[in-house]
Amino acid sequence: MDALRLLTPEITITIFAFAIISLDIAWNDENKSRRILPWLAFAGGLATLLMIFYIWPHVDQYNYTAATDAGREVPMLAVDRMSLFFKMIAVLTVILVGLSAGEYVEKHTPFRGEFYGLMLLAGLSIMLLVSSTNLIMIYLALEFLSITSYILTGFLRRDARSIEAALKYFLYGALASGVMLYGFSLLYGATGSVDLATIAGSLETTQAGLVVAAVILMLAGFGFKIALVPFHQWSPDAYEGAPTPITAFLSVGPKAAGLAVLIRVMVVALPAFDVNWTPILSLVAIFTMSVGNLVALWQTNMKRMLAYSSIAQAGYMLVGLAAWSAAPPSAVAYLGGVDAIMLFLLAYMFTNLGVFAIAIILENQMGTSEIADYAGLIRRSPYLSVALLIFFLSLVGIPPTSGFIGKLFVFGAAVNQGLYVLALFGVFNSVISVAYYFGVLRNVFFEKGSDESPIRVGVAMNTVVTITVVMTLLIALYGQPFIQLAADSAQILAANF
Amino acid sequence: MPIDYLPILIMLLVAIVMAVVSLAMPHMLGPKIFNKAKQETIESGKLNYGDARRRVPVQYYMVAMLFILFDVEVLFLYPYAVLFWDLKWFGLVQAGIFVLLLVESYVYVWKKGVLNWE
Repeated sequence: MDALRLLTPEITITIFAFAIISLDIAWNDENKSRRILPWLAFAGGLATLLMIFYIWPHVDQYNYTAATDAGREVPMLAVDRMSLFFKMIAVLTVILVGLSAGEYVEKHTPFRGEFYGLMLLAGLSIMLLVSSTNLIMIYLALEFLSITSYILTGFLRRDARSIEAALKYFLYGALASGVMLYGFSLLYGATGSVDLATIAGSLETTQAGLVVAAVILMLAGFGFKIALVPFHQWSPDAYEGAPTPITAFLSVGPKAAGLAVLIRVMVVALPAFDVNWTPILSLVAIFTMSVGNLVALWQTNMKRMLAYSSIAQAGYMLVGLAAWSAAPPSAVAYLGGVDAIMLFLLAYMFTNLGVFAIAIILENQMGTSEIADYAGLIRRSPYLSVALLIFFLSLVGIPPTSGFIGKLFVFGAAVNQGLYVLALFGVFNSVISVAYYFGVLRNVFFEKGSDESPIRVGVAMNTVVTITVVMTLLIALYGQPFIQLAADSAQILAANF
Repeated sequence: MPIDYLPILIMLLVAIVMAVVSLAMPHMLGPKIFNKAKQETIESGKLNYGDARRRVPVQYYMVAMLFILFDVEVLFLYPYAVLFWDLKWFGLVQAGIFVLLLVESYVYVWKKGVLNWE
């Protein structure tokens, strides 16, 4: 396939984003046709998803779109199965968040066109980021994602908490990308190249110290996006202040993107054999899991609790990467940890977006997201209560839900490589997490609420909750296609170096 | 390998020495006579007035920011103009898309009333 056709998903989503912004300024505020803008965004997401499925069978690992540098071809973007998998995650996130945002956006802000346009552009930036094979492209895409996220976080400009969230996010983000750039400059200084594959080729074993420094600095940038401890401090405040649909987006989209670029840099540019990455990655994973879960125990606000819970979930994902890095040098093609991460991420995406959909429904109705206000939900909406139960079971990792399969694979990969302590920490943390997830459920099922009026759920919201519930159960009960999908997506990556 | 970076180190030292010397020399050698006119803040030969923390009309920032944005973006057209004949139709279409995006953002700014001075 020629290069331009491999970019059809990106081109499609760009066209839709600009169409939405154009129509938004063409129609004045009273125009009734503005109602189609959310649906246009939805259509854009679906079209992009179709394009991804359309090029899926035609992709092999050598399809690069290339830029030229002094007559030499330098790949900027790699369209391989791994990037397509993450693009699929990004677009699904945009679709589900876009669907569940409708009523919230209607209620809180007059700038609807910009909201959906920026959502699609944030999706585009993730799609570019997960394909990047070049330090410069990684930086540009990461900044693109950051800037769209800052604006979306501060979207409720009359709300002081939203502004505060955006400001904190921005200050942390600016610092993190500065530190990350310094890491890039060390790699560039050591090898004289910004291309990941060229870097891998010209790194010498004597440069181990330099490379470790570079990786730790780069980890600050990627870890900021994934919200790894100790780069997580922005996330509870940003999650709490941001418009709830954007919180949902932040908890999945940028996390997946940061993880993808971390995997690609580790696998393509810095194959594990020169330096032993396992201690660094394991330590970060253990801290991320533990801090996320322990602090989540004390939260009284649903959005804040979910922020810490998603920090902990990112820790579980990192266990997979630590397992990959622990594979013996002879097993070059071993990517057991990476396909586990992908499966975990797929499960996490549906589950977490489902929880947030319920949080958005309740916030639309009650105006707060305090956990205490969830009391007596079972009498107000049995369907949502049971859905919440399923999602929380999945986040803890109890069968028969997708979270169980994800954790099984991630911890299984760690045990396979003999990382028993790491796996044990993971299991311990899952046990701790039961406390706060089930604290919410106790409120929902056994407490008596002050308000007994039934919860009204719109068609779009109902669709989102149903899709996410079905997928959460389906990945566990009929897992083979999804496991196969994750394995396929990781195998292509292995052929890349 | 590290020896290749020696010129950078020398350059750094020269820069530090220059900075320190050019600040220290006048301080040590020059006569120190103070009067009111000398103590005043001077900005490009203009006398200062009022406090720096005044309110400035928001349009000032908007116009300045937009100017920089469009100025930098138009800068990308220069390399294209040089390669105009080599890039043929493909380049023309690419530059066309680029300009279209610029026009879109200009129309957006216009329609949102950023350029309204009242």
